[in-house]
Amino acid sequence: MRNRNATAYRFLAPYLLIFSVFWVWPIISSFIISFQATRTVPWRFAPGFNWGRLIGDPAFFNALKNTLLILVIQVPVMIALAMVMAVLLNSPLLKARGLYRFAFFAPVVVGEVAYSAVFRLMFSLDFGIVNKLLNSIGLPKIDWFSNVTPAMALIMIAVTWRWAGYNAIILLAGMQSIPEDVYEAATLDRVSKLKQFFYITLPLLKPVIVFCLVLSIIGTMQLFTEPFLITERGGPGGGTETLGLLLYRQGFRSLNFGYASAVAYTMAALAIAITLAQLWLTREKQ
Amino acid sequence: MATVTLSNVVKRFGAFEVVHGANIDIKDGEFVVFVGPSGCGKSTLLRMIAGLEDISGGEIAIGGKLVNDVEPADRGIAMVFQSYALYPHMSVEQNLSFGLRMTGNPKADTDRRVKRAAEILRISELMDRRPKKLSGGQRQRVAIGRAIVREPQVFLFDEPLSNLDAELRVQMRVEISRLHKELGATMIYVTHDQTEAMTLADRIVVLRAGHIEQIGRPLDLYDDPDNLFVAGFVGSPKMNFIKAQIVGHDARGVVVELAGQEKTRLTQPLTGPAPEPGSKVIVGVRPEHFGNAGEGDTDLIVAIDVVEHLGGTSFLYARTAHGEDVVIQRDAAKVPTTSEVTVSIRKSYLFDENGLRLR
Repeated sequence: MRNRNATAYRFLAPYLLIFSVFWVWPIISSFIISFQATRTVPWRFAPGFNWGRLIGDPAFFNALKNTLLILVIQVPVMIALAMVMAVLLNSPLLKARGLYRFAFFAPVVVGEVAYSAVFRLMFSLDFGIVNKLLNSIGLPKIDWFSNVTPAMALIMIAVTWRWAGYNAIILLAGMQSIPEDVYEAATLDRVSKLKQFFYITLPLLKPVIVFCLVLSIIGTMQLFTEPFLITERGGPGGGTETLGLLLYRQGFRSLNFGYASAVAYTMAALAIAITLAQLWLTREKQ
Repeated sequence: MATVTLSNVVKRFGAFEVVHGANIDIKDGEFVVFVGPSGCGKSTLLRMIAGLEDISGGEIAIGGKLVNDVEPADRGIAMVFQSYALYPHMSVEQNLSFGLRMTGNPKADTDRRVKRAAEILRISELMDRRPKKLSGGQRQRVAIGRAIVREPQVFLFDEPLSNLDAELRVQMRVEISRLHKELGATMIYVTHDQTEAMTLADRIVVLRAGHIEQIGRPLDLYDDPDNLFVAGFVGSPKMNFIKAQIVGHDARGVVVELAGQEKTRLTQPLTGPAPEPGSKVIVGVRPEHFGNAGEGDTDLIVAIDVVEHLGGTSFLYARTAHGEDVVIQRDAAKVPTTSEVTVSIRKSYLFDENGLRLR
């Protein structure tokens, strides 16, 4: 048995080597770096240098506030929207279901840069289609990129557009795994379609919804592409800077790896804490 | 309680017709079993009565009221599904009361009905458990309980025992029979298992490929089948079929000679028109209708392949001289030890080439 294990490990060795060097080691290394002052040469061990700065850094709290704001507003709206899309996709009345499924899933496979460029054009102040539409129904133009609130809204719209369909497909798969005869039994019990949704579909989908929420929470905690590309590096004036952007700014623009590592560990810890809290709140009560 | 009447009921899926004009009259309080092989349309027929499938043609009346366009919940029926269809996230108690709670039934009445159903089915001690913590038999009881709390006029059962093991199936069969006596409700039960049909039914409806082959009391179907299909489907082991030919008539009836066995002739009394001599027919013999040599109309030599001992009785799996397989029932004490045995045919049925009974 020992020999067989050794053989297995020899086959796994190339993968384990790459995994260790490019995955395990950076995790350990960044943890160590987070306790080092990296703006000096040579780097020196100074536990309070980065972690102490984190506690009092307005930029960190701004990024944290923006990230949590997106998390609290965008994630529930997106999951609710995904649920509506999944219900519509699951409807027996729907024709060309495959086409819609593809259409809803397509945003995920579109290149991030391309989609960001299109969003910038669509929301452009002077020639964007969104402002033209607003004008056509008598509403004033919105300067999506120069004001903080519209910019945040734009980030949330973009992220929702990109990921709602993906979550809808996951929810749809969950819905289709609920046996049809459970609904038939409820129909015979005179339970209306709406009540069937709230009392049968939703409770039975709970594990799938929790899965979508956890994925979305982790995704939002790492949010980078949209504020980087659409609102130009978290603009206006850091109004849409997220923790992911702060990390990038500190690590790769200011080359302050120690502080960036501390931010990275804070992001991971927050994601874990929020996910655990959410799992605890939605746990199966027996 | 109510009658159920099906008049020329037709079901089509697109251009494909699966039920071809079914006519059934079910009396108040009767236990009727729809039986037939897979795909014969029995479940479809039941689902049409429930209102879960649209009716493509004909009429269905429950309690004398036409229900073609009545919502399933308003038909006064309750259904027990093959897969139980329990709500997995609810306790047994919630499963039983869900429908009543959702429709605003008074709590006291809901509690009374749930308590009564639990007592009838002896599941009172399981009320707090979720379905996944129950055995197959217990789940089936909960599914039946959910039907009972609705206090329906008609109970519909869609192969309710097919997911249970053999022993539990027998036990639940007895329970369902007891329930029918206790509630006195009209019950319609779908199964592919002829033993279930024979043991449970007041009347059996035998279906094949969307057609009703025969309707009758279990023993009537067994003793007096209308055609080859019913004769073969009802009874276990099934009736033996031996190819034969009409060779003439005598004072007692038509004389039949078994194929390939010149000396094996039997006389079958017929009240209807007799086929011409030379016509091909099929002789049906139930396993228990083979007697010892000289006991019946004619003797037949068969070669024994296998003997199955079931305790009190044994089954001889044998072949005729013409190579046709037959199953012969014998008392365990009277099983021959030789590889060949002479048996007699004490009672037989005659079918024409199209499978219709010649009487």
